[in-house]
Amino acid sequence: MRRIMTALLALLSFNSVAQAAEAVRFISCPIYRDTDAGRKSGCWLAEERETGRRFDITQSATKPDWSMAVLIEGRIADNQDNACGAMVLEPVRVSILPAQACTRAMIPAEGFPGRRFVLPSRNIRPLYAPEPAPPPPYTAQLFPIPFDFGRDFVVYQQSDWMLVRAATYAKASGGNVVITGYAETEPVHVSGQSLAEPAGLGKTRAEMARLWLVSLGVPTDKVRVEWKQNPVPLADPAFDGLTEISRRRVDIRVTP
Amino acid sequence: MKRSFVSVLALLAAFTLPAGATWWSPGDGTPFPAQYDDADADGVTRLLLDGGPMETKGHPFFEPKGNYGRACVTCHQPSDGMSLSAETARIRWQETAGKDPLFAAIDGANCPDLAQGERASHSLLLDHGLFRIARPWPPVDHDGQKIEPDFTLEVVRDPTGCNASKVWGLSSPNPQVSVFRRPRPVANFKYILAMGFAIDPKVGKPLPIDPETGQMVSGNLMADRRALSLEAQMRDAAHSHLGFDALTPDDIKRIRDFEDRIFVARQRDRVGGDLDAMGARGGPETLARSAPGRLGSQGAAVWSEFAAWEKIPADADITPEQRAWRESVARGARVFREKMFLITDSAGINSPVGFGNPVRNSCVFCHNMSQMGMDVAPGQVDLGTTTMPFADSQPHLPLFRLTCKGPAHPHYGRVIHTHDPGYALTTGRCEDVGKITLQTLRGLTGRAPYFASGSAPDLRAVIDYYDRRYNIGYTEQEKRDLVNLMGAL
Ligand code: HEC
Ligand code: HEC
Repeated sequence: MRRIMTALLALLSFNSVAQAAEAVRFISCPIYRDTDAGRKSGCWLAEERETGRRFDITQSATKPDWSMAVLIEGRIADNQDNACGAMVLEPVRVSILPAQACTRAMIPAEGFPGRRFVLPSRNIRPLYAPEPAPPPPYTAQLFPIPFDFGRDFVVYQQSDWMLVRAATYAKASGGNVVITGYAETEPVHVSGQSLAEPAGLGKTRAEMARLWLVSLGVPTDKVRVEWKQNPVPLADPAFDGLTEISRRRVDIRVTP
Repeated sequence: MKRSFVSVLALLAAFTLPAGATWWSPGDGTPFPAQYDDADADGVTRLLLDGGPMETKGHPFFEPKGNYGRACVTCHQPSDGMSLSAETARIRWQETAGKDPLFAAIDGANCPDLAQGERASHSLLLDHGLFRIARPWPPVDHDGQKIEPDFTLEVVRDPTGCNASKVWGLSSPNPQVSVFRRPRPVANFKYILAMGFAIDPKVGKPLPIDPETGQMVSGNLMADRRALSLEAQMRDAAHSHLGFDALTPDDIKRIRDFEDRIFVARQRDRVGGDLDAMGARGGPETLARSAPGRLGSQGAAVWSEFAAWEKIPADADITPEQRAWRESVARGARVFREKMFLITDSAGINSPVGFGNPVRNSCVFCHNMSQMGMDVAPGQVDLGTTTMPFADSQPHLPLFRLTCKGPAHPHYGRVIHTHDPGYALTTGRCEDVGKITLQTLRGLTGRAPYFASGSAPDLRAVIDYYDRRYNIGYTEQEKRDLVNLMGAL
């Protein structure tokens, strides 16, 4: 019964589920655990230095680089499979912080199986079998696109899929498109550090989104670009219930 | 006599040239048959001209054009899998006492201002199969605009002298960087031009747009992707290799027609026999008939052409040697797909896309296109073949010191030493240093040495490079199986 209730709540509002699980946010150096359950099956761990808790951050679309620090934002998962030998964060987002060097750390599998790679649900269809265009009626729609901290890189099997959806919808509906890029320039304090994005990042993110839409066939004259700073957080499935990360986004508004 | 013998044979739809008599001279005039079998000591490579035979007399790929007496076919030889092996260059040197247009000073010598006619002046071509590729410095983009690079480039050493040359060097009136590269095969373009997805996950962007047509393109041409279309490539090739700037629209159309129709693959092995026997689907016929641009992980697994040889019936009518070789090829295909190792510090894979550094995967991670083994996404990846510390020792090559002006390179830091900056010579970006576009893996046997700078003298050396580079730990049998597989492609 409670299981059903939770599922229902999840459908109605992912926010209420998000509140159920503890959110974590910290900066640390990643550790690669060399598990082998086939391709892409290695585990990524990181220790929250403030508490000594070790987390499994493998489920992030962006995986760490073992020589650079990472900003980790996630929630402690309801289902703990212990495949990597640490507490699972899911949802979780990893942002690489290239300016902060880390000593490479690789540890053996130590009997942990890792996880077999499964194609994420957010994956772009090939050109020879494209996603069908969404049918009418067309209404005004918002497509928020998340970005990693400090970057305008479009995250593979996550934000790329969202951009393709936005482009598909904009093309099908023939609507006008307003792209608003945001940067989080107001410093936030994480693990004793003050993090802030450069002011220009909102613009480069917006321009990156425009490049995608236009390349994917949205007419240039339908697209307007603007950029701002420090938006209010947005509750949208694109952020998997992680409020903080939604300040680093691009909003694509399609108005038919 | 030999010539007329060849012509008579050419009247047939298919013919086999005797080994050693296989140099195709510009202006030779031999018709190109629908099927061209080239025999060597280890087997047969087959070229298929889809759609039937073609006159080469007057054909712009085969007729000498421009200042040097060369044609495209000079460096893209049918008997070398439409590339050119270093061995063929050496034979040509001997047979013509170095007079063949192949050795033209412009790029068939270590540098045009060296004494021509001396072997030492052509050592890179003769010993390593390398041609001089001169790229403008600073780079210019596809619209001809100068790019402001985010790194500086200095010459640490240059045994060819060319980068210091007053006429050809970095401080010449027409500043250029000379790097040295292997010819890439002119065949199987259906695959090389195919677009599997509209995006390039490696750079987090949509596929490049060809400024001439406004259309998306695969981005898989040339070691450094400096040409986005075969047409742009042709003009570049005619200018730089032939000294010819007057390709007519009709020339371009005819070269393109040839390029679209030509397929190459290994067809027969001396020990193993036909590569399309007993349920296997090797050889170029499958290539000409299959849909290109498919990911092996979503369609036909890469090298599943040889899956039928995994379980050869005990009563099959073949010799023990044949059986052993075929089973080895089938195992090699599995090793290619399934033997996992940690891929590290390879820009394009380990950065900036979030696969992680390191990431566990196999050969097929990068060589992921069904039937062809190149990369479905544009394949600009830094394997380390040309860049320190991962490049094998290549004292014969120039060495450049690059200093990143902006952010450091994600794996090499701020100062990078490289023999060939690769893709960075096109983009001017430090993060692209050392990236080389993956080649196709078909028709490999005829075109040794391998890798863009010819650093691997044979297929075993390719496997040994990977074994060192990624600390794979292949067993001796796995290495042999991979070599046999490569030889069957
Ligand atoms: C002097 C030798 C030489 C001649 C002559 C020559 N090429 Fe090439 N070709 C090369 C080399 C070397 C490369 C690789 C260059 C690189 O990757 O930077 C190449 C690459 C190519 C490629 C790219 C293939 C791929 O998959 O990336 C094509 C297509 C091609 N040549 C076509 C031609 C045509 C058409 C002509 C005649 C107009 C021609 N070539 C003449 C040496 C030559
Ligand atoms: C990280 C990506 C990556 C992986 C993994 C990889 N390759 Fe490559 N491969 C490349 C790149 C990039 C090139 C082109 C490099 C160059 O030319 O210098 C290449 C070139 C080659 C070539 C040379 C083709 C030619 O025409 O010279 C062969 C053969 C090859 N790879 C086989 C393999 C095998 C076998 C494996 C597994 C052991 C493998 N590759 C794994 C990226 C990869």
